[in-house]
Amino acid sequence: MAIIHDDAGRRRFLSQAVMGFGLLFGVGTLGLRFIQFLVPSREPRRSEAVLIGAESRIPPGEALSLDFSGHKILVLKTDEGVAAFSRRCTDLGCLVSWSRERQQFLCPCHQGVYDKNGANIAGPPPRPLDRFEVIKRGEQLYVNVQST
Amino acid sequence: MSTPSQPQTESFEHAAKNKSWIEYIQKDLPEHLDWWPYTLGAIPLTLFGLLVATGLLLTFYYVPSPEQAYASVEQITNEVYLGWFVRGMHKLSVDLMILFLLFHVIRVFLTRAYRPPGELKWVTGSVVLFVTFAMGFTGYSLVYDNVSYWGMTVVTDMLGNLPLVGTPLLYLLRGGPEVSGRTLLRLYDLHTKLLPVLLGGLVIGHVVVVRLLGFAEVAGSRGFHAFYPEHTLKMGAIAVGLLVLIVDLVMIFPPTLGLPANPQEVASDVSPPWYFSAPYMWISLLPGPVAIWSLLGGAGLFVVYPFVDRVLSERGWPMAIMNAVVGSVVVAAVAVLMYLDTQM
Repeated sequence: MAIIHDDAGRRRFLSQAVMGFGLLFGVGTLGLRFIQFLVPSREPRRSEAVLIGAESRIPPGEALSLDFSGHKILVLKTDEGVAAFSRRCTDLGCLVSWSRERQQFLCPCHQGVYDKNGANIAGPPPRPLDRFEVIKRGEQLYVNVQST
Repeated sequence: MSTPSQPQTESFEHAAKNKSWIEYIQKDLPEHLDWWPYTLGAIPLTLFGLLVATGLLLTFYYVPSPEQAYASVEQITNEVYLGWFVRGMHKLSVDLMILFLLFHVIRVFLTRAYRPPGELKWVTGSVVLFVTFAMGFTGYSLVYDNVSYWGMTVVTDMLGNLPLVGTPLLYLLRGGPEVSGRTLLRLYDLHTKLLPVLLGGLVIGHVVVVRLLGFAEVAGSRGFHAFYPEHTLKMGAIAVGLLVLIVDLVMIFPPTLGLPANPQEVASDVSPPWYFSAPYMWISLLPGPVAIWSLLGGAGLFVVYPFVDRVLSERGWPMAIMNAVVGSVVVAAVAVLMYLDTQM
């Protein structure tokens, strides 16, 4: 009798387990799809060269501010030639500004400081400013940005 | 563990079979609920009701789009009849709700009211606290003035720094890599639909759990009183007093509105709402991973603290003294971090 009872118990357990896993799988897949619906896909970005102008357009000691496709960029002459930096502070995403007097990038949120080559030199920023590639075609300078 | 909880479960079942819900509500309450430190839980409950009422009114005018959000808040504040008052009450109520929740947490922590069988009271309450923070942040972002815009940017960035879930969470909240109109709509949906329903459920759940599990025993509290009229009267008096206080505070400090959001220029005084300024400073002062992991660990420890307390007390630790020390250190640290944030 005990064996028969065990069989029935096992059968019930197995069928409940199969149904339970099936239900969990179904609901889980649906839930996952819903989350995918909410999280936008990262569209493939393509490189695009944006014209800045001739090098002479960038006054010495000054930074040229550009906004293209959501990228906020500062272009200036560094020790290694013309460079384009993202204005996005590497600490918490505030916007850095160029200080002509100090020849540094300053973040107003937590007083993060970067030197003219974009290196983080004071305050909380954990790494240098992000850079964009600068391309020279003839006399004209272009910034290589990623856009969607 | 199962031995002390057994009679409790049985008494629930027994009670459920034999009592009507009126009898449940009318169940006598211990005397100490009349003492002021023990009324701190009822205050956020009252404020939650006020927030729902004023929030509902605000949705009649607020437009969740980057082009119109600021203008609609300006209209509410300056043009709509008593709009400034409704907005002021809403804004102040959330600040007070968080403040009193924190007082409530400190009181429960110091008196160790979460001791068995009250662990679930603490766990549900701690989730209420976190969801209230989320409500505060999402609401703060909707104002869409420059401080609010950049506050929203830095807080979502902070969340984006979380290990593993950070980037998907950032995309989920912002609706893309950057703060945009989609971000505003998502935060609006969270603030006016998903989170209020969740918070309402959690608040009800917390109160029900407290009623079912019973109140912790407090030394010197021997008598009992009925829920109605004694307790109701006291809570009513607190609610009316609170309302008078809020009305006065809104009159003295009417809600303000800064310059409109400018994605090109950071606000000069960007900072998240006051209840986020301590973690914000923590993240700024410590190296990224250390700050994030310590905050996550701290939050996790906070939720499961009753179980930690049980394990440690079984090993003979003086938990009453421990809690007093830990509580004082945390409150002092938070105060210092908040002060540092005002100096930056």
